[in-house]
Amino acid sequence: MMRVNIRYFAVLRERRGLSEEQIETSAATIGECVNQLVVEHRLGLPVSLIRVAIGTDFADDSTPLQEGMQLLLIPPVAGG
Amino acid sequence: MSFTLSFEPLALEPQEHSQAGGFVSFEGKVRNHAQGRSVIHLEYEAYPEMATAQGNELVHEAMERFGLLDARVTHRLGTLNIGDTAVVVQAAAAHRREAFEACEWIMDQIKWRVPIWKRETYADGVSEWVHAGSAPAEPHSDQIRFERQMRLPQVGDVGQTKLQEARVLLVGVGGLAAGSLPPLVGAGIGTIGLVDADLVELSNLHRQTLFASSDTGRQKVERAAAFAKRLRPAVQVETHFEALSETNATRLIESFDWVLDGTDSLETKFLLNDVCRKLGKPLVTASVHQFEGQIMTLRPDGPCLQCLFPEVPPDHCVGTCATSGVLGVVPDVLGALQANEVIKGILGLPTLDRQLALFDLLTLDVTRLERTFNPKCPICSGSEHSSSLEWDLQQLPAFDFDLIDIREIDEQPNLQRPHLRIPMTSCYERSFVRPTVFVCASGRRSFRLAADLRAAGNRHVFSLLDGLNNPALR
Repeated sequence: MMRVNIRYFAVLRERRGLSEEQIETSAATIGECVNQLVVEHRLGLPVSLIRVAIGTDFADDSTPLQEGMQLLLIPPVAGG
Repeated sequence: MSFTLSFEPLALEPQEHSQAGGFVSFEGKVRNHAQGRSVIHLEYEAYPEMATAQGNELVHEAMERFGLLDARVTHRLGTLNIGDTAVVVQAAAAHRREAFEACEWIMDQIKWRVPIWKRETYADGVSEWVHAGSAPAEPHSDQIRFERQMRLPQVGDVGQTKLQEARVLLVGVGGLAAGSLPPLVGAGIGTIGLVDADLVELSNLHRQTLFASSDTGRQKVERAAAFAKRLRPAVQVETHFEALSETNATRLIESFDWVLDGTDSLETKFLLNDVCRKLGKPLVTASVHQFEGQIMTLRPDGPCLQCLFPEVPPDHCVGTCATSGVLGVVPDVLGALQANEVIKGILGLPTLDRQLALFDLLTLDVTRLERTFNPKCPICSGSEHSSSLEWDLQQLPAFDFDLIDIREIDEQPNLQRPHLRIPMTSCYERSFVRPTVFVCASGRRSFRLAADLRAAGNRHVFSLLDGLNNPALR
């Protein structure tokens, strides 16, 4: 198990009901980690539609998860 | 249906229309003051042939636009005293709304389009000619209007001319456009295009502050055009009362230099991304959700929207303003940032070409993320040079042209054919009248320069694909 920080944006923030949280997970990759969150909190978007950033760069779903990582979960936004 | 000029005092004539449920008659009067000065009397003068032709054209346009049964305009010429009637506009329609709207529209149009001048004689004995409708005309007033921004070294005379020659298309005239239109028009953008198929609704007004309560039920494009004209009468506005679709996208976009995405539909945003890329147009896209906004500038040679989100998601799964709510100030801020991107882009200043900026207006956090090409992107296949733009040349052109090496002066090796060396940054400050081909080491800088100069209105600039590696230069 490792601890990672999650920041939610736009509709993910709205559906999760918070902006930021620390979670404990056994996921091996960031893709797996995001999938767990989508299922657990019914985020309403498939993992393929959510982009994950670490620091200032977007990361691939297959990136191995590491202790203390901060993941930014960014969905497409439609409103205008 | 008629537009007439008259030297005789105007009298209201009774009109009979058995089908008309609404008949509106408007009289424009001579009042005793103008811009703080006391007016004694005034004199109208026209170039009659042209005024009558223009007048008839706009009356005809009003008939079609508002579906009128009849429209008549009579404008006075000669000397008029305080209280005299200067113009009578009458409109008959099946319902009152169209008749009211037509009268107002016709009056606005007369002031903008019909060559009638008036000479005001003031209490101090001085008299002055002024165009009947607008403030004293350009270009003298433009010097004053734009003085504060022209003081900026990044703008100046050259930059201001670029802004005034630019053509900018706003797709979607809602909350984002309410933020972007005023600063674009204010900055002096020469031509603004507006595309939207919606009418103003009461629930729009908390954020779409271009519109007034009395605008509800009217075309957004038409009311936004009226707003723009009030702000700067010299701005050219082209309105398209239709929704952007695959069928009309190319036609609507191709004559513009920059496109702003102010739509609230992911499908349209992805369509714009695709079409703008094919046409070589820079696109500034933004969207809002509750207290948050996203913005990025998509250049024809940079990573595109589908590099970021390879799949086109259905709207319902990401929430909309209608379902999730939005604070009115959020689209206003993001729209203003879109205008900022376009203005900077026209001036050759840095824009968010390879970044996604996320704004949280609840906490005022700004997050900027680097966007890169995505090899899985269906639009650009992750390639820097997938475009088949006619100005991104595979080989040197057959017509007469100047060849300019835009690398820094110390970059080697030298070209083996006649050319000039002007570093890229200096090229932004020049205008190129003759056909000009830019070349750099790889074709990336030259592509960017040609794209920027084309976006700023220069049609004669080209980039050589692959730069020094192009076979034509070996």
